[in-house]
Amino acid sequence: MTTLDLETLETITRDYAAFQTRKSGLATALGGCMAVVLVIAALSPNIMGIQVLDRLLVEFLVWVPFLWLLLRAAIGRLVYRKLGPVKALPDGAYERRRWLWILGLAVFLVAVLLAGLYAFASGHLRADQPHAAICPPPLWILLMPFLYLLAMPWAIRGIEEARAYAVLVAQGILWLVPWFLFSFGPPSPPLKTGWGLFGDFTGISILVLIYTVLIWGALAMVRGWKEHREYLAILRALPQES
Amino acid sequence: MRKNETLPKAILDLDRIVHEPARLAILTVLASAEEVAFLFLQRVTGMSKGNLSSHTQKLEAAGYLETLKAFQRRIPVTSFRITEDGRTALRLYHHQLRTLLPKEGKP
Repeated sequence: MTTLDLETLETITRDYAAFQTRKSGLATALGGCMAVVLVIAALSPNIMGIQVLDRLLVEFLVWVPFLWLLLRAAIGRLVYRKLGPVKALPDGAYERRRWLWILGLAVFLVAVLLAGLYAFASGHLRADQPHAAICPPPLWILLMPFLYLLAMPWAIRGIEEARAYAVLVAQGILWLVPWFLFSFGPPSPPLKTGWGLFGDFTGISILVLIYTVLIWGALAMVRGWKEHREYLAILRALPQES
Repeated sequence: MRKNETLPKAILDLDRIVHEPARLAILTVLASAEEVAFLFLQRVTGMSKGNLSSHTQKLEAAGYLETLKAFQRRIPVTSFRITEDGRTALRLYHHQLRTLLPKEGKP
């Protein structure tokens, strides 16, 4: 029979249930780590400029948020369900905060889409630009921001997860922008471009996006690891099996 | 005089189903979540399988919890959910205990 007091029983149950509804621990840390590592690795040859990447690599990078969702499901099942499923009680205040995150990220994605449409309409994206549109982006890649949007209510279950998903989406957007601006055409060599080719506003926006990914990614790593330690503390607090 | 007649009525009114320590622990855990797996309930309360089954059956017979059986990747998973009656009984039990205990500062 347990030696835990009733208050501890309540706390342990609530905390354990939270890991199946709104906390991801290791998956959140992994999401932040993936975003930071990918952005640094992809930009490492010329951090202050934008290097037009290999097409296959970009195609992989824009799918990373969905890869993370698969990894999160696997980690959740393997690490945070060891004692079986426990459904948390609904929490209205937390749900409201979650929807604010979803709304914020949706506004960001819609702004990116509108900026893209505006760029097309105003003639900033033309096939006769230097390096441009030798091979236009495939149709599916134009749909990526919509896919990111559609996945959000399911992808963002908790606040820390929202941070991880947001940075992974931001790094995806980071690769979509140069794609739209300078489509990748075989057999063109890798191109290095400076801020001048983007224009001031786009250049600053991309720089902000890069730093946002790096800072928020680092935050997601720290918070995710902290959550994981909380989970380990829950397991340690349980009565030992006889 | 029978032994019970010497006890205050408030103590006699305590719900015996809830008052038992193992069942009180089970109801406390169930009240903190919407649905709880058998394995988690067993680990957190530290009871044996047989003991836990016996207590949950008593609670189910009293209408305080319901048992849910499902399959996850072909493995049967038993879960429990507290009923509204169970929640009310637990709240009432807490209230009764608080009124029975002496106020702070009084012996």
